[in-house]
Amino acid sequence: MFCFMVEVERIVKANDREYNEKFQYADNRIHTSKYNILTFLPINLFEQFQRVANAYFLCLLILQLIPEISSLTWFTTIVPLVLVITMTAVKDATDDYFRHKSDNQVNNRQSEVLINSKLQNEKWMNVKVGDIIKLENNQFVAADLLLLSSSEPHGLCYVETAELDGETNLKVRHALSVTSELGADISRLAGFDGIVVCEVPNNKLDKFMGILSWKDSKHSLNNEKIILRGCILRNTSWCFGMVIFAGPDTKLMQNSGKTKFKRTSIDRLMNTLVLWIFGFLICLGIILAIGNSIWESQTGDQFRTFLFWNEGEKSSVFSGFLTFWSYIIILNTVVPISLYVSVEVIRLGHSYFINWDRKMYYSRKAIPAEARTTTLNEELGQIEYIFSDKTGTLTQNIMTFKRCSINGRIYGEVHDDLDQKTEITQEKEPVDFSVKSQADREFQFFDHNLMESIKMGDPKVHEFLRLLALCHTVMSEENSAGELIYQVQSPDEGALVTAARNFGFIFKSRTPETITIEELGTLATYQLLAFLDFNNTRKRMSVIVRNPEGQIKLYSKGADTILFEKLHPSNEVLLSLTSDHLSEFAGEGLRTLAIAYRDLDDKYFKEWHKMLEDANAATEERDERIAGLYEEIERDLMLLGATAVEDKLQEGVIETVTSLSLANIKIWVLTGDKQETAINIGYACNMLTDDMNDVFVIAGNNAVEVREELRKAKQNLFGQNRNFSNGHVVCEKKQQLELDSIVEETLTGDYALIINGHSLAHALESDVKNDLLELACMCKTVICCRVTPLQKAQVVELVKKYRNAVTLAIGDGANDVSMIKSAHIGIGISGQEGLQAVLASDYSFAQFRYLQRLLLVHGRWSYFRMCKFLCYFFYKNFAFTLVHFWFGFFCGFSAQIALDTSYWTFINHVFIWGSIAIYFSILFTMHSNGIFGIFPNQFPFVGNARHSLTQKCIWLVILLTTVASVMPVVAFRFLKVDLYPTLSDQIRRWQKAQKKARPPSSRRPRTRRSSSRRSGYAFAHQEGYGELITSGKNMRAKNPPPTSGLEKTHYNSTSWIENLCKKTTDTVSSFSQDKTVKL
Amino acid sequence: MEERPQHCLSRLLDNSALKQQELPIHRLYFTARRVLFVFFATGIFCLCMGIILILSARSTQEIEINYTRICANCAKLQENASNFDKECTCSIPFYLSGKMMGNVYMYYKLYGFYQNLYLYIRSRSNRQLVGKDVKAVEDCAPFKMSDNKTPIVPCGAIANSMFNDTIILSHNINSSVQIKVPMLKSRLTWWTDKYVKFQNLSSKNLADEFRGKIHTVPPNWPKPIYDLDKKDPRNNGFLNDDFIVWMRAAAFPTFKKLYGRLNRTHHFIEGLPAGNYSFNITYNFPVTRFHGEKSVVLSTLTWCGGNSLFLGLAYTVTGAMTWLASFAMMAIHIMLKNKKMSFFHQ
Repeated sequence: MFCFMVEVERIVKANDREYNEKFQYADNRIHTSKYNILTFLPINLFEQFQRVANAYFLCLLILQLIPEISSLTWFTTIVPLVLVITMTAVKDATDDYFRHKSDNQVNNRQSEVLINSKLQNEKWMNVKVGDIIKLENNQFVAADLLLLSSSEPHGLCYVETAELDGETNLKVRHALSVTSELGADISRLAGFDGIVVCEVPNNKLDKFMGILSWKDSKHSLNNEKIILRGCILRNTSWCFGMVIFAGPDTKLMQNSGKTKFKRTSIDRLMNTLVLWIFGFLICLGIILAIGNSIWESQTGDQFRTFLFWNEGEKSSVFSGFLTFWSYIIILNTVVPISLYVSVEVIRLGHSYFINWDRKMYYSRKAIPAEARTTTLNEELGQIEYIFSDKTGTLTQNIMTFKRCSINGRIYGEVHDDLDQKTEITQEKEPVDFSVKSQADREFQFFDHNLMESIKMGDPKVHEFLRLLALCHTVMSEENSAGELIYQVQSPDEGALVTAARNFGFIFKSRTPETITIEELGTLATYQLLAFLDFNNTRKRMSVIVRNPEGQIKLYSKGADTILFEKLHPSNEVLLSLTSDHLSEFAGEGLRTLAIAYRDLDDKYFKEWHKMLEDANAATEERDERIAGLYEEIERDLMLLGATAVEDKLQEGVIETVTSLSLANIKIWVLTGDKQETAINIGYACNMLTDDMNDVFVIAGNNAVEVREELRKAKQNLFGQNRNFSNGHVVCEKKQQLELDSIVEETLTGDYALIINGHSLAHALESDVKNDLLELACMCKTVICCRVTPLQKAQVVELVKKYRNAVTLAIGDGANDVSMIKSAHIGIGISGQEGLQAVLASDYSFAQFRYLQRLLLVHGRWSYFRMCKFLCYFFYKNFAFTLVHFWFGFFCGFSAQIALDTSYWTFINHVFIWGSIAIYFSILFTMHSNGIFGIFPNQFPFVGNARHSLTQKCIWLVILLTTVASVMPVVAFRFLKVDLYPTLSDQIRRWQKAQKKARPPSSRRPRTRRSSSRRSGYAFAHQEGYGELITSGKNMRAKNPPPTSGLEKTHYNSTSWIENLCKKTTDTVSSFSQDKTVKL
Repeated sequence: MEERPQHCLSRLLDNSALKQQELPIHRLYFTARRVLFVFFATGIFCLCMGIILILSARSTQEIEINYTRICANCAKLQENASNFDKECTCSIPFYLSGKMMGNVYMYYKLYGFYQNLYLYIRSRSNRQLVGKDVKAVEDCAPFKMSDNKTPIVPCGAIANSMFNDTIILSHNINSSVQIKVPMLKSRLTWWTDKYVKFQNLSSKNLADEFRGKIHTVPPNWPKPIYDLDKKDPRNNGFLNDDFIVWMRAAAFPTFKKLYGRLNRTHHFIEGLPAGNYSFNITYNFPVTRFHGEKSVVLSTLTWCGGNSLFLGLAYTVTGAMTWLASFAMMAIHIMLKNKKMSFFHQ
């Protein structure tokens, strides 16, 4: 966007296009394309001639047009050059055409816009800043909007931000109370003329600052009131929003990063080689030019008189000068233009092999692998670092209830007849839930013992399941078919409540004061007395309910480490037993929660409740007092057991990760998810293990802390003997890095680094950067959590820049786009909802496990083949060209060619395209009498081949040359296998021996491992939902609320929204290590 | 998640060995037996070939007589510009100790004449030589046109510098009787030259045809193109064998070109008998100006060419090297094998 003034703040007036036009804000049309019809030719040609090779051949062409020095006809260069440039241009044009098409598709999406007090369907690209648009459920958001009103009470709306940050949790946005009054009243919305003054377009997804001025009052705006482009509206039937940022100014587009021209290391090597060869060529030219000068002054002078050339015309020095240029033209075949074309063609072929590969075809969704960029194949074999997204890439984002431990007994393990634990396989019969009409069909559980225990009426088991059905923040809803649908804000809770439902404790519905569940067929309504919400320091959540019998109970679930401290001393035996079970669950990479309850007597609860109300009403130290009260009541708990939920990995992730790390490829996980979740996944896919010597967690809140933690970690790594003083001094950086690479070699033991987004922001600052990089590169596993899309790209850039390593980024969502674009190779997981990652990627396939085949098979083969081809190509050209150099000594350095080169380049192409038939037919045509008759001057070599090939002598020479060339190679290979066998030679020999011995027996590797790790706790939960529930604000009103509903709702409920806002802004501003609401 | 039917897969992705990169491969596995066998066999073959080639090359006979200095007086005469049209002949007697059997070929050989200079080679007009257009002289610089703007036929530096000595070989049976050795001037060129690359304007009356077109003789030429061979009218114009031979530019500054071949009739039915011979040379071609030399060569040929020993020696050397290498390789292999065996026994 070209603005003559730098935008310092954005002023937008609603419903006033004329006013907004003054500022020339970008409209909502997006351009990812590079050219249009008019600019294509000049821009594309300019880009192409920036390539060294093309420019070089252009120079050659110009040289050849000068008759004095032209030793070859001009068409030998122009034909291939035009061919190459046309091919590239056609490819660029088709690429751009598809970009235009996808742009058009996005730009032409429809949205309802309020124009002239009427809702009209308008294309996305015609949406302007300041317009008010209406969104409906499950629609993509067209631009960055200020939420005005929605179908839900209090202007709430839910959005899914998976495209932006990869999180599939629903996030709540709410409108200002003044604007939410507008509702769906078109006339009032059309009359809305508020002015928003806000920050300029930027790429910070979790920050927004602005002020809305309307009706003589000002309201401050923060991120909670903004819906960003790329989000999807969920569970909200409609909402209205005012466009603040449009098109390229939206945060999504600002985060997308620049598209860079990607080149492989072979390309770079080729460029340097070409430069060296060019230098070599110049040397040859100089030698021959000097030779020519000497020859001219000694022999040529006399010869010239014989040939009647005017003596005064040329001095010998000038003749040498001309000869230099003539030889540059003649010898240009050492750097043939066809090299570049041939390399491209080979790569294209390799891309087709990738596209055709059945082993990378995902049959469930019918998605084949796709090489979207055809120029990077051999780089796949050189990958050193893989940066992977988590959600959707490593995991399926499906939580399933796997195991539980109730009262010291494990359920969920499958035992065979010999009482051995066995793997759960498809053949095992799952528990049949079909008898229960309310059961969720997709849920599977393989242990029948739990069902039996329930049937036998084990009170502890019942209590356990009751707790799961009561203590949560899930909302229920019945769809048109009468089935229960749960709306969950964290998938873990969904898994637990669904499990309870399938075992007969069905959560039916809730009101702010009650929870209704169905216990094995009988309905029971519990009174919800208090909701002790989850937060990151408490790491637990409790509800206090009065059951139908009138008893008051506190049900609690949370991290085992926290909950075990709150237990009643009588639980000691059970605690150690459960603790063992938890270790076992955690060792399998399951996400665990401990479950406990407490019986409360009426009197005690009443006193406590009074104190809680007092604390709520307090103005000073309110939060601290409430926290203290929560601590007070959550003690002397009785342990019930523990749950284990599996964050389902994609198929084959563990095997893939293992084999990739065997290939010395380092895998870094960059995720927007929480630290616990990320660590858990690290354990689940074997990237973190108990065998590791140390796991460093960097979670500092400011630059100093981060640096300290990094230093400390490094000292740990090296012991005290090595002292790292000034890692950040720039001039020492290089030596430092070199030093470290040696250290890296000698380092024994495995380490892992876990760093979160806020620390990373500080760590990426220039002076701490090197510390971070050193540490990270010495660790076997690096996990970055809570990172923004741009930080992902920054991490990739960091490794790329300072490690000179080839990097690969793999991801599935729009939040991975910038990372995919900045890595050497970007891979998109296809078959997901959004397409952004795939569109930005170089390769796409449906499953993470295909990475193994892509890198270790296709990448390796491509690299091998390319290397062989290049060796052959350079050899061939040198052999061909140096003949001219040698001949120069016999022809008075007069730039006469010894062989027919005029059609050499052309023949070269045909030859490399593999058509020997075409080669010979052209050869015969060119040597035919007919073509000589038509062009006697252009094809004067008629008869040469025919007559020389009839001589026996020629054949003898050919035979001898063959023998003399082949024999040394055969001898060398033979002796090499004997003297210095390579690994593959040894393996081949071993395989041969094996084949003779016996067929190999098939072994199935066992992935189960035992672990001593204590806590597998992870819970993708957000703070604030407890209050949401107790306030009843998210309950869908059965009757439509009155238009002036706000006044009628009681005081307590409005305070809830303020609390929620306050909490989220607090967490954002204080950079707490686990910020709960990110958007 | 239900499985999609399998035909999807087969429809989308061809299960051919090529597309799945499962084509059978063959990798040369260099076992000792194979390698050593190939080496010994090649060695024997090369040695035999070399010996045969050397023997056959030595069976050829060749006589070369350099007449640059012998005919120095003619050269001197020619350097004097005033005598440029005076004919100078010189006779070189020689004794042929053994008879030359079979086909005998006569060559002239030039030393230090750079027929491979870039500008020199370019200075010809194939369009003219093919008889299409006598006026096509664009490529012939600096011998395109005469001063009165008529095209030179044949144009160009190559044609202009044509070798124009006349060499006549005569056999002196005794001091008084001299027989001229009959030489054939036909089939000195390739078929393509005679029938494709060079054509006269029209075959009826050459002289008339050339005279009809107004043209100029090249500056160095004493006689026009249609008058090169006085005896055989068909051997004239662009189709003159000597002319065609000269027009094929030599690749190296020292070269020999075929001048004639022995007509095996009467006395010479078996070749050249031993005895006294002499070359009678009409000296026209100046070589002293560029410090070159010229000589005349008589030679017989075998199936594999002339009397060059290079190819035979190269074969012999290669064969010997291959044998040496194969012995060395055998030694190394056996040594390593013993070592491995002992390693396994341990």
